Amino acid sequence: MKLAVLYSTMVLQMKKSFVRPMFRFCLLANPILNTILLYEMFRTAGEESFLAYVVLGAGLMGLWSCICFSSAGDINRERYSGTLALIFATPASFPLIILGKIIGNTLLSLLSLLISLVTAVLLFRVPLSIGSPLLFLAALAGTVTCFVVISSVIACLLTLSRKTELYMNCLEIPIILLCGFVFPVSILPPAVQALSRALSPTYAIELLRMSLYGVTDLRLFWEKFGIMLAITALYAILSGLLYRRIDRRVRIAATLEVA
Amino acid sequence: MIRRFFHQAYLYHKGRSAAFHAEEFILMQLGYPLISLIFYCLIASYSFRTDNLTAWIIGNSFLLCTHACIFGLGIVFDSERYFGRLRSILSAPCKKLPLILANGLYSALFAMCASGFGFLVGSLVFGVDFTGVNLALAALTIVCAMFSATCFGLLLAMFGMISDSMHFILNLVNGLLMIFTGAEFPLSQLPAAGQLLAQILPLTKSIAAMNLLFCPDRGNFWPLLAGELATGAVYALLAWGFFGFVERCARRTGKFDLF
Repeated sequence: MKLAVLYSTMVLQMKKSFVRPMFRFCLLANPILNTILLYEMFRTAGEESFLAYVVLGAGLMGLWSCICFSSAGDINRERYSGTLALIFATPASFPLIILGKIIGNTLLSLLSLLISLVTAVLLFRVPLSIGSPLLFLAALAGTVTCFVVISSVIACLLTLSRKTELYMNCLEIPIILLCGFVFPVSILPPAVQALSRALSPTYAIELLRMSLYGVTDLRLFWEKFGIMLAITALYAILSGLLYRRIDRRVRIAATLEVA
Repeated sequence: MIRRFFHQAYLYHKGRSAAFHAEEFILMQLGYPLISLIFYCLIASYSFRTDNLTAWIIGNSFLLCTHACIFGLGIVFDSERYFGRLRSILSAPCKKLPLILANGLYSALFAMCASGFGFLVGSLVFGVDFTGVNLALAALTIVCAMFSATCFGLLLAMFGMISDSMHFILNLVNGLLMIFTGAEFPLSQLPAAGQLLAQILPLTKSIAAMNLLFCPDRGNFWPLLAGELATGAVYALLAWGFFGFVERCARRTGKFDLF
């Protein structure tokens, strides 16, 4: 029953997201534009940077944009459509439906990585080679999990806000900057690096980059993987607590309207 | 007439900003664009392996105006339709040009502030040296750039009458501006067709003119500035002509949209 709800929510969410022009931009056009921009910026930086920074950076920027402009705003869109109260009160459980929406969005958003890769190969003949393919797949699975959980925290935080659109816009670039999507976080000032280290996508991106170059230190790889999972677990706990708090507040106030 | 123009401009601004507290409004108008500026300067410092970020501070400071001029103005008619005022505007027996310009007044002012603030932050954070730069000419270049970008934003706003995918269009244009204005990498890296497109777009000539102010030989400064003003004037005329066409179509067909 729960899996059926999760699956049908995922499929429905993918269809709903794809018809929105902003999501189509984030998913289809954004990775192409970012790949061209980053390629031109990294042209003199050496070939080894293309896959790790241009393709991966542009793809992940597209993925994060999709999450920011969809998962973060979906609750607001349900409110606008008048269906928020219905899905909140449904016996299928509200968190399960939100999780289905987020997983659907995140899986569909992975297409941006593929589009970025195809753009780089077709337009710029970027050589395609993955140093450690199996570890890359493991890192990618970890990345998806990390993004799903971080999206659920953001979705919870924005449930009762009337300024979702502002926060959606303000979340995009800071996270891309802090997590080092297109440059190593080591170039940031030490105080900012401390903040970066508290964000699980930072580790996810480092793992993806390590596996693209080819993992030479397996212990370091799994160590980073463990840290990423630990932080992601903390986010999951935070998301659960936030949901319980919102649920209690909504039941006392008997309204899902914005604060 | 002039008083009504400024009152209308204030009302448009109030309509766009009333939902936000002052600090949120500042975050939206200045904070987020500045983080974008820092982000692209960090990419440039890493990819071009340079500490001299003057060209990127200039380019990205000019691009800061896109938030106000492109997104703020471009969505005007989309918003009017959303709030149900499009009918009143089209059928009102008043001149439409002052109405459109009133819509862009505050956006252009905020765009100028954002650009000026971008230069200030650029000099403080990235150590861009303004000694020896003629500040009056720099201010004049900013005004010309904002005029051109605002006119371009007005033309984009007209697309709201022929398309329901304005978020897609505006974000696409924003991406194209980043690639083709020479803000992020030298235009000489682009193919001939790309360089031609760059000359048609707003901001390209202002960015080049501002870069010249940092050089001992100002060379083509005045022709570039005149070119930027001419580009803006062409966009303003196109926007005005397009609006007239849309207005006639609306009166003839009894519909407010051409899609």
